[in-house]
Amino acid sequence: MRGRGGLLLAPSLVLLVLAFAIPVGMLVPTSFRPYVPLVGITSGFTARYYTKLVTDSYYLEIIGRTLGLGLTVTALTLVIGYPVAFFLARTRSRWRGWLTILVVFPLLLNLVVRTFGWIALLAQNGLVNQAMIALGLVHGPVVLLFNFAGLLIGLTHIFLPFMVLVLVGAIQNIPRDVEDAARVLGASWASAFARVTLPLSLPGVLSGSILVFVLTISALVTPRLLGGPTYQVMSTLIYDEFLQRLNWPAGSAQALLLTVMVLVLVFLSGLLARRTGARA
Amino acid sequence: MSAARARAWLLRAWVTLVFGFLLLPVVVVALASVSRTSYLTVPPQGVTLRWFGAVLADPEYVHAIVWSVLLAVVATIGSLTAGVAASYALIRRRVRGGALVSALLNAPLIFPGVVVGVALLQFYALVRMNGTFASLALAHMVITLPYVVRAVMASLQGIDPEIESAARVLGASGPVAFFTVTLPLIRPGVAAGALFSFIVSFDNVPVSIFLLGAGQMTLPVKIFTAIEYGVDPSIAAISTMLIVVTGLGLAAAERWIGFHRFV
Repeated sequence: MRGRGGLLLAPSLVLLVLAFAIPVGMLVPTSFRPYVPLVGITSGFTARYYTKLVTDSYYLEIIGRTLGLGLTVTALTLVIGYPVAFFLARTRSRWRGWLTILVVFPLLLNLVVRTFGWIALLAQNGLVNQAMIALGLVHGPVVLLFNFAGLLIGLTHIFLPFMVLVLVGAIQNIPRDVEDAARVLGASWASAFARVTLPLSLPGVLSGSILVFVLTISALVTPRLLGGPTYQVMSTLIYDEFLQRLNWPAGSAQALLLTVMVLVLVFLSGLLARRTGARA
Repeated sequence: MSAARARAWLLRAWVTLVFGFLLLPVVVVALASVSRTSYLTVPPQGVTLRWFGAVLADPEYVHAIVWSVLLAVVATIGSLTAGVAASYALIRRRVRGGALVSALLNAPLIFPGVVVGVALLQFYALVRMNGTFASLALAHMVITLPYVVRAVMASLQGIDPEIESAARVLGASGPVAFFTVTLPLIRPGVAAGALFSFIVSFDNVPVSIFLLGAGQMTLPVKIFTAIEYGVDPSIAAISTMLIVVTGLGLAAAERWIGFHRFV
């Protein structure tokens, strides 16, 4: 029985080692090779692409912007999504399955298509500007593309379904009785929510937040299309380094930094989840 | 009681608003696709279907659609075969280092797509596999495998292993017991995994964009580059087609396998 398990796992393991683990691992040596413009990648050893990443203000700004977007998108999806998740988890409507499907639909719809929708909405003469001018909120069109605001709106939209789905799962797992007990014992709705429901849903809040944060700092398509070639985040920087500037060593160093950031976060959240789980 | 009622209404209003926000870009794209103008405008001016005709008459778009479907089918068959076997091994067999294997199987899900893309760009160039269909299909198998494994493992966990044991006791060989007893029982999980896999492959930009060779194009990358050149209603038309196909596919999946249970 034991040997058969290995045989069944072999195709997946061979695939992942050959077409994933080794290629990603090979970015490490590349990131230490010097790149000479017009010549290409030369032999030798340099750590300059790493030192640049942590000292050069151009790169620091991009890293800071990426992390800032990650934090704000996470916070926004949490605030917008929690009530929706609460509703989906607690509703007794027979439409519940279909309402969930409505949350899943944008998730499965092609990312480029969704982002394209936001280009149409956020452009100078787009629907958002038309609406704001018609309502008298602004006098002239506001710039909503190629800046922080555009990316924030687009990315919040793209990743909101992930947050909602994770939170639905967490809130569903809280027995209704616990809340009812608090109410029977005289707690107001607000304090029952703040002292019972919310704390019990915290593991879901944590995993949803980590998921959205990691997805946001990894996103390429939405930042590229809504930010253009000038308003860069880490992924678009890596994209340009490999395909436009052909400086693969610098791109490798950036890719590895992004990977390490993601892995550290996932690892820490795992630790945190285990600790809060142990306390509960 | 009225406070509770007000809360319920407030919650409903919020949920309606958020659903509106989620669907807004979808509606806008669909509206923009029927405008008579040659530039993108919402609300549309007049109604025409000529942009749909223009897309379907464009050999580049048709080629990209065919390519994307072919790639997604090949990647899905591959990751389904490997993924069902791996899930079965992890759940039903005692595998040494099972936790490590699970971590590896899920890793492509955590790693940024752009990192997988550039890593394979370099790797394929070194082993001289760049620009081949096989290289792209393998890359797509890597990124779709975690979705298959997750859906199939969830399905397998809900099935009593004794059922398969019973088939074995009654004389069925291992493979016969698996294909006639277990596989039919986990069909919803396999179907959900296949659907996820197809969609993930069909949608992918961050990995494909680094690996496409000369004369190769997938639909999302084609739309992506088209948008970078400038937006026009034909992009809205092809996007609307994708919206319709995705919507119908998802509705069918919900009817047949109760898709929302797998997300």
